Amino acid sequence: MGMTITEKIMARSSGRDKVIPGELVWTDIHSVMTMDFLGRQCFDKFRSLGKTEVFDKDKVICVSDHLVPPPTQRFANMLNEWREVVKEHNITNFYDLGRQGIAHQIMVEQGHVLPGTISIGTDSHANTYGAVGAVGNAIGVTDAAVAMATGKAWFRIPKSVKFNITGKWQPWVMAKDLSLHIMGMMHWNGHLLYKSLEFTGPAIESMSMAGRMTLCNMTVDLGAKNGIVAPDVITERYLRRRTNDKWDFVTSDADAAYDMVYDIDISDLAPTVAMPGKLDDTVTVDKLIGTKFNKAFVGTCTNGRLEDIATLAEIMKDKQVHRDVNMILVPASQTVYLEALQAGHLETLIKAGVAIDTPSCASCAGIHTGVAGDGDIVLSAGNRNMTGRMGSRNAQIYLTSPSVVAASAIRGEVTDPRTFDI
Amino acid sequence: MIKGTCWVADDYVMAYDIITSDHWTSAIDPEENSKIVMSGVKEEFNKINGFKDKGFTFIVANHNFAGGGKSIEHVIAGLMGAGIQAVFATSFARLQFRNAINYGLPFVTSDDDMHLGCDTGDELEYDADKGIIKNLSKGTEFTSVPAAPFVSKVAEAGGLMNFVRDKIAKGEPIR
Repeated sequence: MGMTITEKIMARSSGRDKVIPGELVWTDIHSVMTMDFLGRQCFDKFRSLGKTEVFDKDKVICVSDHLVPPPTQRFANMLNEWREVVKEHNITNFYDLGRQGIAHQIMVEQGHVLPGTISIGTDSHANTYGAVGAVGNAIGVTDAAVAMATGKAWFRIPKSVKFNITGKWQPWVMAKDLSLHIMGMMHWNGHLLYKSLEFTGPAIESMSMAGRMTLCNMTVDLGAKNGIVAPDVITERYLRRRTNDKWDFVTSDADAAYDMVYDIDISDLAPTVAMPGKLDDTVTVDKLIGTKFNKAFVGTCTNGRLEDIATLAEIMKDKQVHRDVNMILVPASQTVYLEALQAGHLETLIKAGVAIDTPSCASCAGIHTGVAGDGDIVLSAGNRNMTGRMGSRNAQIYLTSPSVVAASAIRGEVTDPRTFDI
Repeated sequence: MIKGTCWVADDYVMAYDIITSDHWTSAIDPEENSKIVMSGVKEEFNKINGFKDKGFTFIVANHNFAGGGKSIEHVIAGLMGAGIQAVFATSFARLQFRNAINYGLPFVTSDDDMHLGCDTGDELEYDADKGIIKNLSKGTEFTSVPAAPFVSKVAEAGGLMNFVRDKIAKGEPIR
């Protein structure tokens, strides 16, 4: 019996020939990420283990993303403590304000995640790293501290579930729609709890790295341990400019065992929306046509990449955001910001009446720029819509793709981008 | 053997509501976090020490306890600071399940739908060694899924930090 890609990576990283689901192993960690609001506590815990030097100062990645630029004195003070502690530990890769981005975007975009290895981060969307064929896993500060000290983390080998995605992508249908479709199909944190999700098939092979990142990103919201796409030529081309580290094409064996296999044909996949409150309460966009909202948001580690911004620009060119809607775009990193600027997308969007903010997690976690107030109805291309997620507990959040947000922001009501006059 | 009263939770009690977003940037500290733990779950808990003052020892939950995908350890620290010594549920969200193991707080899965036969305030008795949970108020008994040996070892050490610190101090490999 062969192994799945996740099992193989866990085996390689724990120095074994084979692992089986349910087994508990300590594995080597390729890199560990922590960020501004939890990072100082990671380093405090790390030192309390009796260590002063991290296992590899090139492989502990520190990012300022939730608190930058500081909107309050309290955040400013926290950031100062954070900077001090990062400096104190001689961390090579520190992405602070000016070089910042959302941690998960930074990890992939800056080549800190490698195919066939395991990387962990103190934020739940660390599952994003699966896009390049790595095991990306979210952990708490305790695990991060232990990994900083030892270069290791413990894992229970998960059972794998395969999603075989076939068919042809339709215009304006995005990876996010597939994510939300699977969310509705599998139920939020239900059947996929603790599982490793492997995305494969022709529709994945033709998918860009940005799309793969969106897809893997939201596997944490399915309750899964990780989401992964096997490395291929797209991965190789993406990583070529980003890392000098050597890596292997680790892929699943043909006779690997899966707990479940699902086939999804995306040929008739429609733009999809998650209703306020629960991620798995999804409908196709046609069910919501005409629904009013007053705030539109595109950004986050889920949908703040160049491809997402290009989609907005294409739909919103020479149009105006509806007068009853405020729209904010927050690029996922400084690199994305610059690329969008150079491509002319930001000019298009500013002319359309979109406010653009400097890269951060923004209002996604409800603690930074653009939070929702009482009674706000938000159409968001972020990743979570539970009560209070973006600020007020009296706000409602509809989650969808950038293309739905773009078309809808122009009309001032939920609009199907496929029927929108572009 | 642990004995005490329980709070029976609804389905889908989310980490977001156990620790609301205005406290995510605070320090991880059982005493501090326990003052506001569960404040988003129920109105009656939404005051300083609202949950803690009820004096519960156990939580009995249904599916996906502490879900919603939040990796912050304030959730576990807050529950422990409030006096919770074990949580029983049909299933736990992965991130907080992991954090609970790392903190040595038993998150115990039971194949029985024990939430159905329990009311808030019932007195329970938990025998971790045998994996038996007794509802003394109702005279019922449930069996739990036994913890993995590693999980028990971490709990005995008083959490992963102690477990690893001890290995590092002794120069032992971590595996």
